[in-house]
Amino acid sequence: MKAIYGLYSDPDSAQHAVESLRRAGVADDSISVLASQPYEEYEFSHRYKQTWLFWIAAGGGALGLWLGLGLAYLTETRWPLVTGGMPIFAWWPNIIIMFELTMLGAIIATVVSLLVMTELPTICSKVYDPEVSQGKILVAVENPADGEISTLERTLKGSGITEVKRVT
Amino acid sequence: MTHRWGMAVDLDRCTGCEACVTACRTENNIRIAGPEQSARGRAIAWIRVERYYEGDFPDVRVKFRPVMCQQCDAAPCEPVCPTYASHHTDEGLNAQVYNRCIGTRYCANACPYSVRFFNFGNPVWDRPLELPLNPDVSVREVGVVEKCTFCVQRINAGKEQAKAENRELQDGEIKPACVQSCPASALVFGDLNDAESEVSRLSRSSRGTKLLEDLGTLPKVTYLQRQF
Amino acid sequence: MDLATERKINEDLLRPLRQTSVWFFLLIAGLGIIVLAGVGSWMYQVWNGLAVAGIRWPVFWAFYITNFVFWIGISHAGTLISAILRLVNATWRRPVTRCAEVITVFALMIGAMFPIIHLGRPWLFFWLIPYPSERQIWPNLRSPLAWDFFAISTYLTGSTLFLLLPLIPDFALLRDQMRGWRKRIYAVLALGWQGTTKQWHRLEAAMQIMAIAIVPVAVSVHTIVSFDFSMSSVPMWHSTVFGPYFVAGAIFSGIAALILAMAVLRKALHLEEYLHPVHFQNLGKLLLMMSLLWGYFTFAERLTTWYGNNSAEMAVFWETQTGAYAPLFWTMVFCNFVIPFPLLAIRRLRTITGTVIASSLIVVGMWLERFLIIVPSLATKHLPYAWGAYRPQPVEIMITVATFAAMVLLYALFAKAVPIISIWELKVGGHAQPVLTPEEQEEQRELWKARP
Repeated sequence: MKAIYGLYSDPDSAQHAVESLRRAGVADDSISVLASQPYEEYEFSHRYKQTWLFWIAAGGGALGLWLGLGLAYLTETRWPLVTGGMPIFAWWPNIIIMFELTMLGAIIATVVSLLVMTELPTICSKVYDPEVSQGKILVAVENPADGEISTLERTLKGSGITEVKRVT
Repeated sequence: MTHRWGMAVDLDRCTGCEACVTACRTENNIRIAGPEQSARGRAIAWIRVERYYEGDFPDVRVKFRPVMCQQCDAAPCEPVCPTYASHHTDEGLNAQVYNRCIGTRYCANACPYSVRFFNFGNPVWDRPLELPLNPDVSVREVGVVEKCTFCVQRINAGKEQAKAENRELQDGEIKPACVQSCPASALVFGDLNDAESEVSRLSRSSRGTKLLEDLGTLPKVTYLQRQF
Repeated sequence: MDLATERKINEDLLRPLRQTSVWFFLLIAGLGIIVLAGVGSWMYQVWNGLAVAGIRWPVFWAFYITNFVFWIGISHAGTLISAILRLVNATWRRPVTRCAEVITVFALMIGAMFPIIHLGRPWLFFWLIPYPSERQIWPNLRSPLAWDFFAISTYLTGSTLFLLLPLIPDFALLRDQMRGWRKRIYAVLALGWQGTTKQWHRLEAAMQIMAIAIVPVAVSVHTIVSFDFSMSSVPMWHSTVFGPYFVAGAIFSGIAALILAMAVLRKALHLEEYLHPVHFQNLGKLLLMMSLLWGYFTFAERLTTWYGNNSAEMAVFWETQTGAYAPLFWTMVFCNFVIPFPLLAIRRLRTITGTVIASSLIVVGMWLERFLIIVPSLATKHLPYAWGAYRPQPVEIMITVATFAAMVLLYALFAKAVPIISIWELKVGGHAQPVLTPEEQEEQRELWKARP
């Protein structure tokens, strides 16, 4: 995939670069900001804040609850063996099984959704530069139109860097 | 009507001779522990005669109490077994399924009467002690918990005999090994659902008590207290 | 944070992965031998049956179940530090989270071995797993041991994922920084992590959910382990306080283990700039609180027993207070409460050395506590004719020692493969320099824009 990006040494310049790109008319979807930590105090980190993850986790938990109930009911009535004079299906011990499977459902649903939502593990190549892990912040425009490249270069350089890199 | 097997133990009659212990061992293929392993607490005795001494010499009184699996109706050993090896049959017996036991020994801990035993090793019978092994009773392998079954093999044999002869079971027809061998007739076995059986009568006796009754295990063995 | 500091953090925390001294290999070899001896002991036991162990009628559970409860207890370290402190936004937790989460995962793995080790027929342990068999027979879900299976599986899955999720950005860092065959492995483990805004948000949201979910699971796990005891009528087991008692004891021993791990890592990996005395002081305060809580629970349980004067329970009670188990009992009280209390309460004594001494004693004391809950009660059950004494055998001692060696071994190997301090979380907290007093922090705040 094609991308053009600049590496900034501090989050202030990166924020400046994002704003310049926006003023230059680049769509927000095409701007990627890569960093080695989440810079929560900066506006460029506040995009994509909405997430369904909490609802998915709750849904996973509900699924786990029903699985637990089903497991307990079906297995206990399959071979109805009397133990200790207790009823074949009793709520007290089965609530424990249901609780554990609820939490397991929530946890697994969260992790699976996380991987799906963040598109991990990636199969197709994505924009990246090893300098990011040394602390630089990468601001990229993905799939730019050919005619815009020089404009984008100027915009990115205007925020304090001298070199702009390209991925073809 | 389904049977409900129970026992009564007359503590007045028990002399502490332990014929019941020997008979049980022979009938049920109980492994031999030997003196060293017994000293380390590995001896198995499905029925044991507990001996309690009261008073100081020379006014010592000895009390004997045969204790075997009480086949509790609210058995604490049953719900704790993770594999259903210990469960209740419809004839009121607490079944121990050797094939299903994985040896967690939770049931043995939970039993307040300490009547469950664990096979610490594979059974070994030096010649000629393997000759009197009872073919009606399985030999338990290492890692399995076992206990008194009220000689369920004799119960089943008695029931089949009665069925084959097309008649009802008589009271006193089925005798577990301990009951059969007691010279003082201190042990009585029978059907608690049959109101006329001797064990039913004895369970209603005014001398009758249950062991550790306040734990709520609902044991089916009635102990008749000594009179003097 | 400027680039120079970022580079320094990367260098310092990756140095243990890049440089290996001969001491490391000696350590691994030594621990490996002990672990192998433990495995050999277990094989010996499986071959010969549990006759080689010390268990007997009526003490059917002893060392192995002690170890089981002990290690599951240790595993509560991670949950407390990682999850609870994350939920209440305690920033000092940042260098410590991964140390704690690793303890949790490995302690759980070790603890979960013991229900298999203590089985009479361990090759059939899989009957505890609810799988559709030919006979259509399933495990007894009324049994606390079946609850154990579900609880420990859930907790192990949850903690492993809780450890692995924040590792992804660090694997990406390792992918960039390392060379050769290790680079390829880290590249696979990093799953192609880039660090986009969306990825960071989703990761943080997922961590929040996991933290919320793992806390009740951890509480339930040790409660269910306590149910192994309280669901039977054994004297002094059938206590309603066991659930909270065990959870408090678990968190107690977990924090102690964490302090020990941190102190060793700080020395061995030269992490003095990242693990400061204030971390040990804060954990020391938590440890003090748990020590008081443990003392409170122990006192409440014993007072109730003594006051109730039930004959079966009193037999067990006196065995531990003045009888055969009294030396162990009073050692435990000294180790858990009497000596740690001044060490942790007096600020001048609450140094790294002080907390390490207290933690070592507490680890010993908590192991004794598990032993003293299990063995005296079984040795002194309802019928006096059925009382018995327990003596541990070499097999049990060897396996116990081997699990401690296994824990250290796994931990050392992990610290060699993965940075033991979570690099990105540390950077977010902005702690590249020594932690400042509150006054100095106020001055520095606007310079760093550090996240509270």
